[in-house]
Amino acid sequence: MHLLRWEVPDVAPRIIADDAIDAEIERLRDAIDGAKERLAQVRDRAAAHAGPEEAAIFDVQIGILDDHDLRNQVESYIRQNLAAEKAFDVVLHEWRARFAHHSSPMMRERVGDLTDVHIRLLSLLLGLPDHDPVEVPKGAKAILVTHDLTPSLTVQLDRDAIAAIATEAGTRTSHVAILARSLGLPAVVGLRDAIQRLTGGEHVVLDGSTGTLVINPTDAEVAVFHHRAEREARDEAELRLLVAADSVTTDGVRITLRANVDLPEESTLAATSGAEGVGLMRTEFLVVGRTAMPDEEEQYRAYRRVVEAFDGKPVVIRTFDIGGDKLPAGGFPHEANPFLGWRAIRMCLDESEMFKVQLRALLRAGMHGDARIMLPLVVSVDEVRQAHRLLDEAAAELEERGVAFRRDLPLGVMVETPAAAMSSDVLAKEVAFFSIGTNDLVQYTLAVDRGNVNLASRFTPLHPAVLRLVKRTVEIGRAAGLEVAVCGEMASQPVMAFALIGLGVRQLSVAPRTVTLVKHIVRGISAELAAEAAEAALASDNAAGAERQLTGRLRAAFGDAWFLGDGLLVS
Amino acid sequence: MIERSVQVINRNGLHARPAAEIVKAAAKFRSDITIVRDDLEVNGKSIMGVMMLAAEYGSELLLRADGTDEQDAVSAIAKLIESKFGES
Repeated sequence: MHLLRWEVPDVAPRIIADDAIDAEIERLRDAIDGAKERLAQVRDRAAAHAGPEEAAIFDVQIGILDDHDLRNQVESYIRQNLAAEKAFDVVLHEWRARFAHHSSPMMRERVGDLTDVHIRLLSLLLGLPDHDPVEVPKGAKAILVTHDLTPSLTVQLDRDAIAAIATEAGTRTSHVAILARSLGLPAVVGLRDAIQRLTGGEHVVLDGSTGTLVINPTDAEVAVFHHRAEREARDEAELRLLVAADSVTTDGVRITLRANVDLPEESTLAATSGAEGVGLMRTEFLVVGRTAMPDEEEQYRAYRRVVEAFDGKPVVIRTFDIGGDKLPAGGFPHEANPFLGWRAIRMCLDESEMFKVQLRALLRAGMHGDARIMLPLVVSVDEVRQAHRLLDEAAAELEERGVAFRRDLPLGVMVETPAAAMSSDVLAKEVAFFSIGTNDLVQYTLAVDRGNVNLASRFTPLHPAVLRLVKRTVEIGRAAGLEVAVCGEMASQPVMAFALIGLGVRQLSVAPRTVTLVKHIVRGISAELAAEAAEAALASDNAAGAERQLTGRLRAAFGDAWFLGDGLLVS
Repeated sequence: MIERSVQVINRNGLHARPAAEIVKAAAKFRSDITIVRDDLEVNGKSIMGVMMLAAEYGSELLLRADGTDEQDAVSAIAKLIESKFGES
């Protein structure tokens, strides 16, 4: 187990004698040299497995340590008899406060780099253990335990060294969990006080399916886990046999299964998972943790890679869903209520030049297959109209430049707000498809923050209000002849997939590694049974009742199958 | 001492990476280098200072150098800013 304490340590004030001042300044300089050397290693490692653009943030951190003003200020405190660690601590706290309160978002965005430098140098001066994930040797299969997975930590992760991640922050649907999933790492999140309860070096077992981290397990417990891991590997091997199988219910209803893709690198995995296309390609990877917005060429290459991997099958690409918990480049104003704030389509329409860069890249990628454009967080048909106008402008700009592109990409919307679901009849007239984003639809319908650990048990996708909104959207979309898909992570849970099929959904998009599991469910049920179960769930007065209606029938179809153990978080 | 004004023309402004590039370029000269934006004057060899300018797209900066290689210093930094730091 590798404990990553990436927090600013407390520094006690220490006074040094006049004749120790020169040696103390030497000590500071040595520590700065050591930190710079380390950062150069971290940068080179990050450049190798995440790319030079992501690694550039470490050059900025080296620049901060080289800053003459900063160094002179620290040294002047040392000359006033303050020990090096306290002098540095005081100066960094001042600078961080100045950056954090700056009126320019560009400045506030840099606080993270100052904090990283602050932690790194203090660790050296105080002789604290070096906690860089970079230090974990290849093949160590370490479990990384940390407070949160920040972008600067993420780019350092070496998948040959880290076997799993546990964090104190986040929930199973928050960005850290999605990131871990896209990296193919088992993860447990929301372990509120894990760091206090660990000292580092303990043996731990991480159980991603139940969300637990077992500290110093007994031999008997380890044996049980090994046994289970073997059984799961066997089950997975069995599911692999379904990759090429048809996704059809026992009564002959075809359910199209597509994959959710977070990173272009995942497209190969997704294309071989048995998925018939991509139902949701997120584009935030282009922005998160970066210091600048990606240009048209870089975006075009990323989209094209995924579109080509699917060789003519549909690839639904969602435009930037940034803001909220996904901090983008360029900096964004601090908001008291980011999930209700300036984000996703709202920000894209206001920053139309930036948005058009993405639209141009998408139109160009359309030349290489069946790319489709999906707008997130739509609440009004006006947003769809504006997006159509910008798409026209983007096409005209490409035409003027003489660049090849496809003009008629289908433009659809995410239905993830009660507003969109309730006005799906209005939206249906101006869009090419609907895709229901279950996570956000639950969050916005129930007013439950999906990132709040204390609310996890109140985040109930089977709440009657949510089921009714899904039903309405499906009925209206289908009546208008539109494809209505569901692209939330939740669709990969057997009970939820069953409920959605029962509500009339015929396209599900899930994480690549769960495609075969959902296919197994599809092949074991009839659409008629699902419809009857959904009817009963809709008639229930609460989420727990709806879940009972669904699991009862699902168990009747599958017996006590292993995959029914991972139920929903209904309290 | 010489001065020259220059406009920030890269979309993303002087965010962290451009600031680091300016400081790296400035460090190669012996002259004192100052960058001025409105009434804020910062040391062109300090990344914290250059970031503090928070110079976004379109802002006007004044470059000032004082020393034996002041001419070269000012033109090198102006050229860097005008090259948009490799952004398209």
